[in-house]
Amino acid sequence: MHSSPENRVRSDAGRPDLDARVFESVLDMLPSEANPTPLVRLQRLVPPGSTLYAKLEWMNPFGSVKDRAAWEMLRDLEERGQLGEAKPGRGVVEPTSGNTGLSLAALASMRGYGMRAVVPSKVPDEKKALLRLAGAEVDVTTDALCPLPGSEDGAIGLARTYARAQGDKYVMPNQYENQANARAHERTTGPEIWRQTAGRVTHVFTALGTVGTATGLARYLRKQNPDVKIIAVQPSPGHDVPGLRNVSELSVSKLFDPSLISEILEIPHELAYTRAAELFRREGLRAGPSSGLIFEGARRVAERDGVGLGVMIFCDDVFKYVSSMRKHLPELGKFNVEGE
Amino acid sequence: MAYANPDVLVSAAWVLEHLKDPKVRIIEVDVDPKQYHAGHIPGAIGLDWTKDLQDPVQRDIPTKEHLETLLGSRGVSHEHTIVLYGDASNWFAAYGFWLLKLYGHKDVRLLDGGRSKWLATESLPMTNEVPSYPPTTYKAQALDLTYRARVVEALEASQKAKAAGAQLVDVRSPDEFSGKVIAPPGMTETAQRAGHIPGAVSVPWGSAVNQDGTFKSADELRQIYVEGKGLKAETPTVAYCRIGERSSHTWFVLKYLLGFKNVKNYDGSWTEYGSMIGVPIERDVR
Repeated sequence: MHSSPENRVRSDAGRPDLDARVFESVLDMLPSEANPTPLVRLQRLVPPGSTLYAKLEWMNPFGSVKDRAAWEMLRDLEERGQLGEAKPGRGVVEPTSGNTGLSLAALASMRGYGMRAVVPSKVPDEKKALLRLAGAEVDVTTDALCPLPGSEDGAIGLARTYARAQGDKYVMPNQYENQANARAHERTTGPEIWRQTAGRVTHVFTALGTVGTATGLARYLRKQNPDVKIIAVQPSPGHDVPGLRNVSELSVSKLFDPSLISEILEIPHELAYTRAAELFRREGLRAGPSSGLIFEGARRVAERDGVGLGVMIFCDDVFKYVSSMRKHLPELGKFNVEGE
Repeated sequence: MAYANPDVLVSAAWVLEHLKDPKVRIIEVDVDPKQYHAGHIPGAIGLDWTKDLQDPVQRDIPTKEHLETLLGSRGVSHEHTIVLYGDASNWFAAYGFWLLKLYGHKDVRLLDGGRSKWLATESLPMTNEVPSYPPTTYKAQALDLTYRARVVEALEASQKAKAAGAQLVDVRSPDEFSGKVIAPPGMTETAQRAGHIPGAVSVPWGSAVNQDGTFKSADELRQIYVEGKGLKAETPTVAYCRIGERSSHTWFVLKYLLGFKNVKNYDGSWTEYGSMIGVPIERDVR
């Protein structure tokens, strides 16, 4: 681990030229009200009379909405003296198999810290390799055999163990309990949407995982306009949509505040995949499965109530999910050398 | 109602008090040995079930000599009070307990709740320092098979179960019991056929524990195993699972917490039984 100040990429290395999109450091690309991720209006798949915009979180420097929480959690640890000069040689450990790990690994590395990701063995090798590619050390834990309902899995236990037993080397941001996760969205995602829609936003559609996104942006937007509807979309139970949780699984998150959510829609999880494919083919939006699910939720509300100006948080793109997409849409994976 | 043998369970507070007690050795045995290396209770010795607690060549428990050399080299003597704990609510800790009892170790106990309970209490100390104790001479007793069932006894129990002369407890998940899966996904130890031993009662191991990994109260356990499943303390009982560790856990519950008179752990379990030619199998899923 290498947290000397001269090794650290700063986030204010120079004033970015946002018009010309010139940045002195990749950290300057991190989103803010002044530098929001794009909103793109859907042209073909929207029920008549409604307006839906997708917020393209895959345009973040490390490819997903999780850059926001990861950055806020790292900065928070630095500000509280838990990382950085006050704790030389200390890095982060997090149980994560997905986007948070990737964002944390890349951002920690920019700031000169090590990162250890603890990943359950069922996670595809591609993702483990991606984490290593981004500079993380990866520990793979055995998946629980007939686990106890509600019990912590091996990955959470192992990550906690590192933080407890080797506190000189590791601190655990813990995205499921860390208020900085929600604060990231209160500070950036909420204000961005408000500015980008000139305050005309009526609905925001988002998924529930750590619940940081929903809680944070709702806190900000509700203050601007208490009538903004925050609609959470979740997959049906028994789903395999990466990164999302069904409400029955939400007890792991300490960031869930039901009073901020107007409605929770449950969508058959298979639609995550079919809608993602449609978004790519019909709208040119290379949306991942969780975005497919969110779109289906927004589409249903548009059909039912009409949506004045809806914003859908599209968490990440489909490139990391080719094997999941092939599993659910078998036609993607059939190739015949001799031609069909 | 209290546990039949309350002394075999210790709390985290007890362990904290005895961290430096020279008469006590704390031993961690995990499903995933990485857990110990990342951090453990200060002074705890780590044993790896894949290497330390089975015979390195044939499929069997370790020999007396193997166990004596292992424990002696780690500074454990037969006079020590051994406290075992581990991940997954003490699965392999319970297996270690069973193994030590086969070799006659007098005072073995389990830390109630295992490693997750310790981990959940922020104020309890943890370290990744591996302790080193002066070597001892560990003298194991001759192998006592009172608590171990071999396949012949499993077959016998299956026969006798028809007339309620024995009871078989299958502690695997419902999908393994019904024959929907041979083993949980991703497991390397598996069998040729799916299903269960005829006459077995399905009581998944997790029925015995609370969400924090501690054992349920004696009354709750009695409710589940005796009243709920109709198991009788006087009837000879064989517990089995897939490779013998989850059934060690249930063996411990039935014998020490509920006071069943005659309980054996069938460590060959489904990976042995489900691979044998010509033995009867019941399967609910076709």
